Formats: sequence, C-alpha cells, structure tokens
Amino acid sequence: MINLLRSEWIKLRTVRMNWVLAIIAIGFPLVVTLLTAYFEGDEDGFKTSDLVATLTGTTVVSALLCGVIAAASITSEFGFGTIRPTFAATPKRMNVILAKGLVVVAATMVLATVVVLIGWFVGSALATGQGTDVDLGDVPTAVPAMIGVVVLTGLMSLAGYGLGLITRSTPVAVAVLIVWPLIAEGLVGALLSVVSGNDNIGSWMPFQAGIRMAIVDEFGDGGPTRLQSGFYFGAVALALTAIGSWFVNRRDA
Amino acid sequence: MISVGDLTKRFGSKVAVDHLAFVVRPGVVTGFLGPNGSGKSTTMRCMLALDRPESGFALFDGTPYHDLKRPLHEVGALLDAGYVHPGRSARNHLRWLAASNGIARSRIDEVVEMVGLTSVAGAKLRSYSLGMRQRLGLAGVLLGDPHTIILDEPANGLDPEGIRWIRDVLTHLARQGRTVLVSSHQLSEMALMAEDLVVIGQGRLIEQSTVSAFVDRYADRWVRVKSPTAEALVGSVTAAGGEVTTVASNTLDIRGLDCVAVGEMAAQQQLVLHELSAQTGSLEDAFLKATAGAQEYTSVQLGSQTGSTP
Repeated sequence: MINLLRSEWIKLRTVRMNWVLAIIAIGFPLVVTLLTAYFEGDEDGFKTSDLVATLTGTTVVSALLCGVIAAASITSEFGFGTIRPTFAATPKRMNVILAKGLVVVAATMVLATVVVLIGWFVGSALATGQGTDVDLGDVPTAVPAMIGVVVLTGLMSLAGYGLGLITRSTPVAVAVLIVWPLIAEGLVGALLSVVSGNDNIGSWMPFQAGIRMAIVDEFGDGGPTRLQSGFYFGAVALALTAIGSWFVNRRDA
Repeated sequence: MISVGDLTKRFGSKVAVDHLAFVVRPGVVTGFLGPNGSGKSTTMRCMLALDRPESGFALFDGTPYHDLKRPLHEVGALLDAGYVHPGRSARNHLRWLAASNGIARSRIDEVVEMVGLTSVAGAKLRSYSLGMRQRLGLAGVLLGDPHTIILDEPANGLDPEGIRWIRDVLTHLARQGRTVLVSSHQLSEMALMAEDLVVIGQGRLIEQSTVSAFVDRYADRWVRVKSPTAEALVGSVTAAGGEVTTVASNTLDIRGLDCVAVGEMAAQQQLVLHELSAQTGSLEDAFLKATAGAQEYTSVQLGSQTGSTP
C-alpha cells in the first residue's frame, strides 16, 4: 500500500492543473481574510467571530475546489486512458481506489489546515496590529468551525472523488459537484420546505449540512448539529465513493 | 509461458472473443495476428484483467494476472502508447508506474536511456510524437525487467529506424528466454521477427503454429522459370497438368509442378534456363487466405466500384 500511496502522490503532484487549483484554493481565502483583517481590523465592531467567519466562509470555496481536484484525479485517468496502465500495474483495483482516495483526501485536508492556520495566525496578527484584540477564547465555536472546515474539505474531496468514480467524466463530475450544492440543493430544499412546511429542511440537504460544519454562529435552527452534519455529509460522501468503487471494480477498465 | 483457455468476452450481443485458446512459449517472439475487429486487443485486455471475460482464463506461468503480486516484474504490457497524461513528463510518467511496483528510481534512467529518450525525458508528453510515445511505452514495459512481454501494435507510428529497433529489441528479449507476444498489422515485420503465430478471426482461433508452417499451409507455391525460349516449355508443362502464367516474355510462373519436374522437362527439350526456382507466397498472402472468411470489415476494390460519374 505504501508503494501505491507514493505512486498516487506522484500522479497528483505532477499535473499542473492540480497546482493551479491548489494555489487558488489557498490564495483565495487567505487574500480575502488577510485583507479583511488589515482593512477592517481598525473598525470598532470588528470581532474575533468576524475574522473566523471570513476565514472559514472563504475556505468553503476552497473545499469545493478541492472536490474538483479530487474528482479530476480519477476522471482524468479515464479521460486519458491512464487507468489501464494503472490497473495493469495493480490489478487489485480496490487497492488503487483506496490509495488514490487516501492521497487526495489527505492532501486537501493538509491544504485546508495550512489555510486555516495561516489565515488565523497572520489574520489575527494583522487585526491586532490594527488595534483589535482577537482571541479564540472569545468565541467558543471558533475552533470547532475551523476544524469543521478542514473536515469539510476532506469530505468534499471524498464526495468529488466518489462522483468522479461514478461518472468517469471530468465535465460531468465537476458540473454535478458545482450544481448540486450551489443550485440543486437550494431548489430542492425550498421545494421540500413548501411541501412539508418545515423551513429548516434545507439544512438537511447533504452539502448544506456539510457546510454547517464550517459555520461560526450558533445554530439553534432545528437543523443538524456540527457533529451530526459531519457524520451525515461524511456518510453521503462515503456512499458516493462506495458506489463509484463498486462500478469501477465491476466494469471493464 | 502464457496459457489462454476458453476465453470468451461479449459486448452486449456482440461476441468479441469466442472460446479462444492458445499457448505462447518462451524463447521466441509470437505474433498475434487477426483482421481489424478480430478481438486481438480485447483478448490482451482480458489477459491483463482489464476487461472482465464471461469465461475462460489467461495464466502467466500458471498464475492469473490478477493474482500477480508485483505485475510489472512479471509481465510488461503496452496496449496503447496514447495512455499517458499529456501534462506529465515522460520521467514522471515512469516514476508513478515504477513507484506502484516498488521499482527503484535508478531503473527509470536506465530504461529511458535504453529507448533513446534521455534528452527529452523531462519534456511534457503532449509534445511527444506517436513514435516517441511508443518508445516511452516500451520503457514502461521494460521497467520491471519482466519475463513476459505483451505488446499491441508496438510499431505504430515508428519510423523505419524505430521499426528495426523494436524488432531487434524484441528478438533480443526473446533470445534471453522471455515470452514475447506481439500483435501487429505489419506482416512483413512479423515475418522477420516472429517464429510462432497465433491467428484469430471474429474472436476465434484460426491457427496456431510456427510462421513457416503457417506459410506452408496457406500460402501459394509455384515454380519460376526464366529462359530465352520459355514459350517452348508451355506445351509440355500444360500436358503434364501444370498451370502456366506468363510473367514476361522470357519468364513463366508454373503451378502444379515442382522444380524437379519442370527442370527435367527443360532438359528433355534441351532448353537453356537462366532461372529455375521455387517460389512461396508471403506471410501476408497466407494471412489473407487464412482469414478470408473471418474479415470483420471488408473494403470494396476501387476499380470494381459501380455508379455513374458526372
């Protein structure tokens, strides 16, 4: 398995597009957070929760990009045909699927961790330099939200990977990954709210539930708790990957 | 040694490989021949556990491919030189392949040098020609120093030097005692390279034999005679049951009689002969004859096309 992990890591880091997406995924939340800390840090109303909310909120976008990286990590193999030499080199396909999944989920979680750590420490230093004292102790949900966005990134990658395994097509997997959380869940949630009369039903949509892990505010809206959100979205992401793995293992390569 | 038995693969209602069975022995290059769509590539994919056959087996020294612990050390396969990520360099392509089977990085430089790509090993594969990709594919095959080699159309896109090079490499590898199975449409190359043949058509085995036995069985044979008075021989040859074709004013091709019979006739008539030789059709002739009933796609002779022209 160590050999396979090394092999998949080489594959992941030797494609320029992955680096481009990773740089955007790192750069976007950091630029927004650090600019916010620098320019808003001297405002009277600026608080610790504002800094953390900006950081975790923008990192959700990074999580989505990490999902794209994960999806493309497998769909590009089918697109370029490299899945055949891959499976010829390792005929036990589930080992390849497991190794690739582990590598991409671990790499994207490390990426999110780096973003959160740099965002918090540099952002808080900038805000402090602007005259606003920020302290994680001020906001009990700050650390859970920061951990949550890292977990969300990992699970978003897992979901993207699962979609990639199922669709075997980069455009389709990426389209589903973007449309599902950003459009489809909103529409379905709104529709179900009208039908059921329950306004909170939208927060039980899989991706919306996942995103709740990264929210700093206390919930109190009847939706899933942070822990429930993690398990629920994690179960959906795992289910997608399990279904995709079954397909890939069963089909001709 | 490769043993394939009762291999059957369907795509929907289409039977691509039909109870195919053959053996590939070590120490020689075995050509895998068949018309387009005859199931050669599908067979190779099934052998490598890439396609799931409905039935049958393919064993490499008695072991199914799926059960090989580190396959690149046992079997080197190149099914399509295009199976590369165009954004990766050749070296990085070989690196992930080597890493998957625990092959040392130093081996990458060795195989890159063997295939003559050292100067372009760092270049992105999108800049590679088909011939360069074939060389890279062969580098991948050689990575694990396998004792069994399977190549699907390895000479595609290669220039004459490259074709000769791959022939030399494969015959060299076979002489080392390795098992080498190569599919190709370049029958003249196959005739120079292969000792054994597996010929299939419409997914079924047509013939497994040595190249010479295959040509003996299927190719046309005749006697060529060159003589300044060749026409004088026509009557006696025809009377003896031979069939004469006049190739040129002084050259005859005679079917139905052998060199001895034709030579004796010429001697009896005191004819001067400039050539008396046994001729045999090529591997291509034999192949076309053997697979005549198993062509998946047949083309229309341009000269025989009908229709009005403006």
